[in-house]
Amino acid sequence: MIEIQEVTKQFKDRKIYVTALKHVSFRVEKGEVIGLLGENGAGKTTLLRVIASLLTPTEGKVLVDGFDTVKQPEEIKKRIGVLFGGETGLYDRLTAKENLEFFASLYGMGKHETKVRIDELAKMFGMRDYLDRKVSGFSKGMRQKVAIARTLIHDPDIILFDEPTTGLDITSSNVFRQLVHQLKREGKTIIFSSHIMEEVGMLCDSVAMIHKGELVYHGKIEELYESEESTDLNYIFMSKLVRGNEGYAS
Amino acid sequence: MLRKIYLKEMKDAFRDRRTLLLTVFLPILMMSALTFFYESLISDGEEKSYTLAVQEDIGHEENIFADYENIELVKYENPEEAVKNGEVHAAILFSEGFIDQVNSAEKAKVTIIGDSFSQNSSNLMNLLENILSNYEKAVISNRVMEAGMDLALIQPFAIEYSEISGEDPNINILAILIPLILSIAIGVGASPSSAEIFAGEKEKKTMEALLMTPVSRSTLVWAKWLTISSIGTIIGIVTLIVVAIEIFFFTEHLKAAVNFNGNAIAVIGLAIVISIIYAMVCASILMITSIVAKTVKEAGSYSAPVMMIAIFPMMIIMGVGVSELSFVHFAIPIMNLFSVMKELVFGVIDVQHIGIAIVSNLVVTFVLFMVGRIMFMKDKWVMN
Repeated sequence: MIEIQEVTKQFKDRKIYVTALKHVSFRVEKGEVIGLLGENGAGKTTLLRVIASLLTPTEGKVLVDGFDTVKQPEEIKKRIGVLFGGETGLYDRLTAKENLEFFASLYGMGKHETKVRIDELAKMFGMRDYLDRKVSGFSKGMRQKVAIARTLIHDPDIILFDEPTTGLDITSSNVFRQLVHQLKREGKTIIFSSHIMEEVGMLCDSVAMIHKGELVYHGKIEELYESEESTDLNYIFMSKLVRGNEGYAS
Repeated sequence: MLRKIYLKEMKDAFRDRRTLLLTVFLPILMMSALTFFYESLISDGEEKSYTLAVQEDIGHEENIFADYENIELVKYENPEEAVKNGEVHAAILFSEGFIDQVNSAEKAKVTIIGDSFSQNSSNLMNLLENILSNYEKAVISNRVMEAGMDLALIQPFAIEYSEISGEDPNINILAILIPLILSIAIGVGASPSSAEIFAGEKEKKTMEALLMTPVSRSTLVWAKWLTISSIGTIIGIVTLIVVAIEIFFFTEHLKAAVNFNGNAIAVIGLAIVISIIYAMVCASILMITSIVAKTVKEAGSYSAPVMMIAIFPMMIIMGVGVSELSFVHFAIPIMNLFSVMKELVFGVIDVQHIGIAIVSNLVVTFVLFMVGRIMFMKDKWVMN
């Protein structure tokens, strides 16, 4: 379970303070899949980084399975797998297998355990053919699969995906969606940010909408459809943002 | 954990052909060129032949150059034009009836024409000046003797040269060459890898993936610093080995200059220790520039001028003789490494100087490393 309590994050850009998150609070239950929605620069990545204990909140705190992200970051890191958007975070000069082995070793996994897990993930993502090839020659889809495998190498209970399907073709996006379904069946807690509303509608149990660093909505997706009398997430999202601009906050 | 990250970083660094080319082969190539350049500089003027233009109607004046086999006389109608056209290294013009004028103690004149901007022309002009000076002395001696006077009248004293050092004078070239090679090879060679290790990881987001593992930032920064130090050390030592092989097998004068006063093993061992310490200092400087930078390109822009701090002290002691090295040279970190290296080339092993150099540079390395570590602990320097 993830508890985000009154989290504010400010960055100092030269002499000006920029507020990326303003008193954000919500809860993610164990086994829940939650979609994080917001425009570019809304604060989604910052929030994911705070949850992952990569950034320290200026105010408030985040508890992951009861562990404080600031006071017990090592405990958090053991439980969380993160895939940030844009670059895939892989070493180009290493093979896919070497990348996975390296990260497995950093999570303290033994050789046998690593081998079994890599076999499992290679089968899951259909990576067996290129496991021993250097990542530098991979297509975007292949890289993304290896990056997701790296995120899951230590079998984390909580997974954070930051715009995971951006730039992926339809096949790779579908593979990702199937993966989320499978992880959900395994009882994993997943937070993922996305611009693709259909994807969020398809995969998520609930949504959190962030606008200019403020949480403008958090709740079950069915309840959202009901209250807005629409199942068009694009429309709902836009209307929430307009209301957010008018000072609305749920 | 430190070992695992270190081994991965080393594998990553040495697997890239471009990095390998830039960090290992290019410095070796540059240093080899430098070695052969210095060798040719030393041998310059010894076995070199020069062409000298003379007037077509030259007479007995030719005999002045009879003992100098490396000067080839070529007759020209206009010797000055021949120099201008680059056909000869220099020209000499004797006044008409030069030998007769000299013999009859009349006023005679010699004109040397050359190009001071050309090394060969300058060498030949110096050589001609010496030859004519010797001829002048011989003429004066003859005149004095013919006048029945004692030669001591024109030579009131004799000059003798005595060198304090029994070393081959060319050893000084080695004392310049070795620190130069070391500073450039390590400084230039370790830069690309250091840029990749911090700024490159930020750029490619592998840094975030690393930070998401339970490995502490302290361990990460240690492993990365160790990698840059190791790469610098490997490049430094490999370059020195290659240069040593070249000196011993492909040069004559530089090889003859190497002596080490019978302390060869100790000198080589200490040179390696000094190289390692210097690589550690460079690694700490490069680490900070790479942490500050957001991209590899930016890291490259920062490291080039900053590395001058580590190379500049070598320039200062370049012209300082080993006996002129004072406490100041051994007290200032980085400079003292080059000073010790200079002493080692001369075969001098001064425990106090070596001790001061090692300890002071370790302190500097530690301080720089801690600055880098503090920066690495802060989010703003680790994530773009």
